[in-house]
Amino acid sequence: MGELVESLAGKRVAVVVGSGGVGKTTLAAAVGLERAMRGGRALVCTIDPARRLAAALGLESLGNRESRVPAHQFAAAGLKPRGELHAMMLDVKRTWDDLIARHAPDRHRQERIFQNRIYQQVSSALAGSQEYMAMEKLYELVTERDYDLVVLDTPPTVHALDFLEAPDRILDFLGNETARTLLAPALGVGKVGLRLFQLGGTYIAKTLARFTGAEVLRDLADFMSQFQGMYEGFKDRAAAVRALLGQPEVGFVVVSSAAPLSVDEALFFHERLHAESMPIAGVVANRVTPDLWPGPSPLPDPSDLEGALAGAGGGNGELGRRLAQTLAEHQVLARADRRQVERLFAATTGARVSVPRLESDVHDLAGLASLAACL
Amino acid sequence: MLDKRLALVTGKGGVGKSTVSAALALIAARRGKRVLVCEVNAQERVAPLLGAPPSGPAIRQAAPGISTVNVTPHEAMREYGLMVLKFQTIYDAVFENRMVRYFLKAIPSLAELVMLGKILNEARSEERGRPRWDLVVVDAPATGHAVQLLRVPAALIDTVPGGPLRRDVDWMHELLVDPRRTSLSIVTLPEEMPVNESIELDAQVRDILGIPRGLLFVNAVPEVRFTPEERERLAALEPAGAPAGPAARAAVLQGLRAELAARYSRRVRTAIDLPSAEIPLVAAETWGREAVERVADSIAGSV
Repeated sequence: MGELVESLAGKRVAVVVGSGGVGKTTLAAAVGLERAMRGGRALVCTIDPARRLAAALGLESLGNRESRVPAHQFAAAGLKPRGELHAMMLDVKRTWDDLIARHAPDRHRQERIFQNRIYQQVSSALAGSQEYMAMEKLYELVTERDYDLVVLDTPPTVHALDFLEAPDRILDFLGNETARTLLAPALGVGKVGLRLFQLGGTYIAKTLARFTGAEVLRDLADFMSQFQGMYEGFKDRAAAVRALLGQPEVGFVVVSSAAPLSVDEALFFHERLHAESMPIAGVVANRVTPDLWPGPSPLPDPSDLEGALAGAGGGNGELGRRLAQTLAEHQVLARADRRQVERLFAATTGARVSVPRLESDVHDLAGLASLAACL
Repeated sequence: MLDKRLALVTGKGGVGKSTVSAALALIAARRGKRVLVCEVNAQERVAPLLGAPPSGPAIRQAAPGISTVNVTPHEAMREYGLMVLKFQTIYDAVFENRMVRYFLKAIPSLAELVMLGKILNEARSEERGRPRWDLVVVDAPATGHAVQLLRVPAALIDTVPGGPLRRDVDWMHELLVDPRRTSLSIVTLPEEMPVNESIELDAQVRDILGIPRGLLFVNAVPEVRFTPEERERLAALEPAGAPAGPAARAAVLQGLRAELAARYSRRVRTAIDLPSAEIPLVAAETWGREAVERVADSIAGSV
């Protein structure tokens, strides 16, 4: 059992975080697969998997539906899982809609919110919306289903930090008192939306309207007034999600590539998790160029390699040169990667795993299984 | 594309947009142009890649002929607000108000509009009868965010009936879709996810944005260095001790990577009907000015 797998052994939730493009989705799937192989009932909730990986997981349909990876996919990969692997793709818009439906006092209010243009913006494009809904979905999956392990793949944010802050930021927007004050003329009329929102009253609102148009402010006022009364429910729920993430049954897995910026992000995120007392299961350095040259001796020059090739059936002088160049370039990358991985591991706690750059893309269960073996 | 006024550069996160933007700026500067590179509310990369400290939200020279700026919503809002309101005191009273600043963040597309407005304004500005910049390179955000940013003027044309804002939106849109002045280039890596995303992005550029398309840059392509026969022979040598074994292993890995990259590069260049430039993989221990110069050398003939 690898270091990370061991560290996740007693967990019911694994949250995979890291900056964009480091291989979070694939790692999340590998973590889920590993648990299923050992007899667990695991669910992987992904955001935006590569097509072939999605196909391998049987994820051809979008939209929040959990589905079990079919047995024939395992058979084709030569795997015999003792448990079950399930997968789903997060649908942000639908998760928002479900959440509104859950909290809205009546059908009319619900429809009114769905129609609002600010809501449409909030639920699809507002920064942090995806992160917030990922958390929300996770809470539902953990509290209302009976998986042994739920693995959450987090959205590809530029800054990994967005993930933790998103719910607070969005709720702050939805329930903000100062914004209510600003929009007071609109909120005060009682039947907002039935009549045109008059901005005439306030100097600030008037100036703002020159930039945004009165219509936008009217929509916003309407949305906030519809949302009033639901805010507490949302806030309680977000607090519950936050509390869940601090439980010992949860393990965060911080993923990084060996690129300096990615390591910076991972370290930043790790520090932040630590500061928030979130349980860190481990750190993964992904796609690391392996070091191929043993010890401190200098790299071979073309003639050394030519000599070695001669013993194995000979070569032309030219091949030795290309080989020497290839090895030298490889080692440049390996050295650069090693320095970054050392920097990552020196400042982090929990399991630390370095996954070498595999020889091809991971896009099927067999590939996931060999990735899982590195964890 | 470098003879136009505005070169937009986008692609999936982590594919090397900043490197390509910096390289394009270097090439243009070598040709005697005055270049401004804009990053959009990003962790600044272009100035450091050129060996200069980050410029922050104020335009600053990073290298001879090249200035850089990191366009932030707050600073862009201030500049735009001052342009419209004319008076600092009014601006401060309204826009520096804590609640208003918070509130502005929530208004759909406003941050995008003011940032794009600042960038496009630089691209059309004239000083003493000639353009302030010969070329403005925009190191745009990653795919989805770039589309969100660049579609704002077109979207607002549909919703803003008239007035000063509409006039601004109109000239912004005209500049963005003008093939004589603007081009949008896509950067990708020869890997599955970036290639798929690039193909989708290109369709959006054509169907939604209507911005004239520039070049397709396929970044970090390893050269094909070994023939299939050589690779087979070298694979058999892998178990051998040093030096032959490790060298053979490095060669086998290089061969696999090159083969995969060639396949994805072919796929993306077939799917996207744009002139394309492959940027060879640069093996550099640290990524700075020298590496960017090498990238610039490799694409100078294509742009």
